[in-house]
Amino acid sequence: MAFDLTDILLSVLKIAIILGIWLNITPIMVWVERRGSALIQDRPGPNRVGPFGLLQSFADALKFIMKEDIVPAQAHRWLYTLAPTFGLFPALTTIAVVPWGRGFLIPEMTVFGRRLFEGGRWFEPVIADVSAGILVVFALASLSVYGITIAGWASSNKYSMFGAIRASAQMISYELALTLAAVSVLLAAGSLKLTDVVAYQTGYFVLFDAVKLPAWNIFSPAMWLSFLVFSISGFAETNRLPFDFAEAEAELVAGYHTEYSSMKFALFFMAEYMAMGTMAALVTTLYLGGWDIPWYNEPATFLGFLLSFLAFLAKWSFLMFVFVWVRWTIPRLKYDILMRIGWKFFLPLAIVNIVIVAAFIAARWI
Amino acid sequence: MIPTQWFLILSAILFTIGVLGVLTRRNGITIFMSIELMVNAVNLTFLAYAKQLGQTHGLIFVFFIMAIAAAEAAVGLAIFISLFHHRDTIDVDEANLMHW
Amino acid sequence: MAAEFAIFFLFAAIAVIFALVVVLHRNPVVGALSLVASFFALAVMYVLLDAPFLAALQVIVYAGAIMVLFLFVIMLLNLQRAPEPPTRPIQQFLGYTSSAFFGIGLVYFIVKYAVTGAPTGQFRATAYDIGVRMFEAYIFPFEMVSILLLASIVGALLLSGRSGAGSRARIGDEVTK
Repeated sequence: MAFDLTDILLSVLKIAIILGIWLNITPIMVWVERRGSALIQDRPGPNRVGPFGLLQSFADALKFIMKEDIVPAQAHRWLYTLAPTFGLFPALTTIAVVPWGRGFLIPEMTVFGRRLFEGGRWFEPVIADVSAGILVVFALASLSVYGITIAGWASSNKYSMFGAIRASAQMISYELALTLAAVSVLLAAGSLKLTDVVAYQTGYFVLFDAVKLPAWNIFSPAMWLSFLVFSISGFAETNRLPFDFAEAEAELVAGYHTEYSSMKFALFFMAEYMAMGTMAALVTTLYLGGWDIPWYNEPATFLGFLLSFLAFLAKWSFLMFVFVWVRWTIPRLKYDILMRIGWKFFLPLAIVNIVIVAAFIAARWI
Repeated sequence: MIPTQWFLILSAILFTIGVLGVLTRRNGITIFMSIELMVNAVNLTFLAYAKQLGQTHGLIFVFFIMAIAAAEAAVGLAIFISLFHHRDTIDVDEANLMHW
Repeated sequence: MAAEFAIFFLFAAIAVIFALVVVLHRNPVVGALSLVASFFALAVMYVLLDAPFLAALQVIVYAGAIMVLFLFVIMLLNLQRAPEPPTRPIQQFLGYTSSAFFGIGLVYFIVKYAVTGAPTGQFRATAYDIGVRMFEAYIFPFEMVSILLLASIVGALLLSGRSGAGSRARIGDEVTK
């Protein structure tokens, strides 16, 4: 495992790109969320600060920083302060294994008389292409329960506590369905690496010797159940409506972060939107072909990388909009119904889908 | 390349801490957590030897131990909940119904 | 490589310190969280041992599932409000000394006698290798574990379920009170 300064610098560059996008998700998504809800509910939404209210989120961020940071007297000081970081850590790290573009060969070049990238160097646009791949995502995502649980417990508030208990039960339950749904895709791709999963989807299906469909998993009949279970469980896993029982404004004030104010509250907010971003990136990678552009073979050059990156961003942005769309369209469920469909409906469906995919593989259809 | 013995020593230290917890604490759940710590120390030993000897058997054992630890945690915690319902405490000294 | 050693010592220290917190801290919630940190450090050890698949499993199973269950139970039983039990000096002393002797002996024998045989093959810990080994040589134990898990689900539901609170759960109370 030899690496030199160039590799380290390239890694830093990748991390900088992703972090730059990731930290800006929250303000942008807050704006999209508010304008989107306004669009759906036929009202103007924020439109005072900047053109189309674009700067509203930044004004909000400034407000969060200026607000007083309150720690309740009965709270467990240490854990109360640490809880937002527990929530943010998995949200920030999970994206590291998701590939966001086609790899390309950096040509050798001479800058100021120094030879850079001797003999060319392969640039793979993923921060950490580990062999455990998607398991790392699930492992780190399973830690996000702690942020919510600890926040609820350390606040010493019964509403926070109820929110925390509901949220952890919900997240543990849906994690199973989520993981088992993803197993179908991994079974077909034959690898845990997300780069391999995307590479598997770059081919074509040929229907009736006439129509060429991209080999995205969503177009494969074997994956439909899995896609349905994965995306709906994704909503539950990120605690978004119609499954927002962690917050449940109508019943629990604001759920686990009732007692939080100022930047600590903003950190929970950021963690929620970043978790959404990870979920959208995962759905894109597992089912929508990742960075693949349909009916186009990206060259292994910088242009190809840029086009595939834009394709990834386009799919991802659409899914992020779907998150907002669903939130303002579908009413929320009751808690017992949520648990019931999780365990009695989605979990069996995910297992059935694994059997279906296994049968397809045995019949050599995929 | 880190020597295998270092992993074994780390595992021994963790196991000892687990033993200490079981011997000195009386809170049932803390004792249970100490047992989990000991199980994990054993896992580390299995894995260190698997790496040293270049075999997969140790890995399979780690896999099985994890599965059994999950089952053990579920049943053990259910027992503690049941104990708490009966006695309003999970102090293991209070669980003396079968004591003569 | 120097970086590997630095990572080993850093995470070994984290694992040991947080394990000590588990054993010594009075508040079980803090103990449970420390145990999570300790398990996470152990997962890093697994990565150092070239087994990233098991490291991911370690985090998913232990940190993500088992310890959440612990935390859940501690919170539901509201244990941090329980009064601190009186310490018993003789037992405490015996516990500390015997575990110290045990630990020193263990380390001594590992340093002196630990088997460090030559590798008999290439060490590969990918999901593929583990899967092939498990479903070829260990298929029967694998099935046994699945039955064990089923039994433990039923057992846990039976023990903690409140549906029979009127009949079954009272039996212990009558005997003791």
